Amino acid sequence: MTKANHTASRQEVASRVLDGDLPSNELSVAQLDTEKFVRYAQIGDVMRERQGGLNIDITASVAAALESEPCHSVPVGAQVDVQDNGTKVIKLSAWQKPLSQMAIAASVALVAIVGVNTMPQPSGEDTDNLPVFQSTPLAGGVSPVSFSSEQPALESAEKGLRELQQQRIGALVLEHQRQSRVAYSLQKQTQRADEQPEEKK
Amino acid sequence: MRLIGCILGLFFTFIANANDVTTAEQLLHNMAKAVHTRNFNASFVVSKGKGMEPYRWIHAKQGDTELELLSLLNGAGLEMVRVNDRVTYFEPQSPPYSISTDSIAGPIPEVLFKDISSLLENYDFVLGGKGRVAGRPSQLVRIESKDESKYNYWLWIDTQSSLLLKAAYVNQQGDLLEQLLLTHISVTPEPSSQLLELQQKEFPAPLPMQTVNEQGSTTSNWVIGWLPQGFKLLKSDRHKLDLNNELADYYLYSDGLVDISVFVQRPLPGQRASGALSSGATTVYVHNSGAFDVSVVGNIPALTAKSIAESVQRPL
Repeated sequence: MTKANHTASRQEVASRVLDGDLPSNELSVAQLDTEKFVRYAQIGDVMRERQGGLNIDITASVAAALESEPCHSVPVGAQVDVQDNGTKVIKLSAWQKPLSQMAIAASVALVAIVGVNTMPQPSGEDTDNLPVFQSTPLAGGVSPVSFSSEQPALESAEKGLRELQQQRIGALVLEHQRQSRVAYSLQKQTQRADEQPEEKK
Repeated sequence: MRLIGCILGLFFTFIANANDVTTAEQLLHNMAKAVHTRNFNASFVVSKGKGMEPYRWIHAKQGDTELELLSLLNGAGLEMVRVNDRVTYFEPQSPPYSISTDSIAGPIPEVLFKDISSLLENYDFVLGGKGRVAGRPSQLVRIESKDESKYNYWLWIDTQSSLLLKAAYVNQQGDLLEQLLLTHISVTPEPSSQLLELQQKEFPAPLPMQTVNEQGSTTSNWVIGWLPQGFKLLKSDRHKLDLNNELADYYLYSDGLVDISVFVQRPLPGQRASGALSSGATTVYVHNSGAFDVSVVGNIPALTAKSIAESVQRPL
């Protein structure tokens, strides 16, 4: 028997044991190509989507690679600033990681102007004919608002002004939202204050 | 004989109406009570115009402690946490702060979870039809504005658990402008463990609050000539807006259900036309009155906002 023949037959034994052709007794196990057998078994497990089928442990090799990695110079003073201003206040991230890249206006301001309806101003009497900005709600998914796509010939000064107005409207909506949070308790306070003099009467 | 029949008929309709009113009010009272006493875990969406905002709403009552968490799930997020009578707001890019109040100012007007009898002055409570909402039998209760300058608020209440299933701002034509719909609710006997954890956390101390009488500083700067029936001044001051650092004279009005903000600011350069902007029920009306800009924000019809903004004048 040549060597090539020998390995081929060992491979064949491994394959046949897995297929259930050969009983997995001591004799066949002795003839097994262990490495191939393990690999075949893994392939089979993965194909059958058995849980934990594929379990390749690379932590050791990664750790070894890290060991041999050259050490970059670390300045001694550059320690990470630990946020500890003595406050025990819990952060938002306790529940949810804030997506800091996202502008606050996007999350709180409800609306952004996309274009202003330039219909002629009603002379005052015709109140039903309200000039209305076309609005698009900014709920969740944020996309930059551009006026240029609507009116390419817009002058840059005009555009700046619109952005200013849009910014202002965003600020107003946010402020309204914030202020209305205190509205209810303020109202109860004023009610209480109103009731007291009445009781005195 | 016919006359007596008429009178009797009128009498009975009157009684029936009176009964309706008490029942609608009773339903709202039951809902307020249920929302404060049950342990529930709910999800809802608010749809305004073209946009949708999903929220999660968890409430627990353990012993004397009430815990509530309301969070906006889209965008950068917004978390509102209530432990008894302290509500803390967590917003992206600004430090959290607390307000000492016993209800969260979310998409549902707070007064509906409280003493709604204060609304009777400006609104009528009317029973609507029965139906099925979010897989549960529901009863519609309409809070109808007594005049046409405000929106109505409709609520669909679970007939079994008395919890809120759906709510909407409805205009005088009967269009649903902004809807809130529960997509899922589970009522459990045990409070959720996520909420119980909150008891161990520490929150910022509540901000101090001042009533109008204590402030009284900027009320005389401007005269706001017209407001819909029932709105009362809650707050007025001059402060810088957070986002663009603009100075504004600020007035906060409320009729119990709806809040209106009035801002008076330096005008923006250039001749800007006045106009309204709305998203769902929220209206922003910007009025350019020459020497100053008036902006009105609130859940009111655009025409009402316009009238308020145009009524603002310098005191004589």
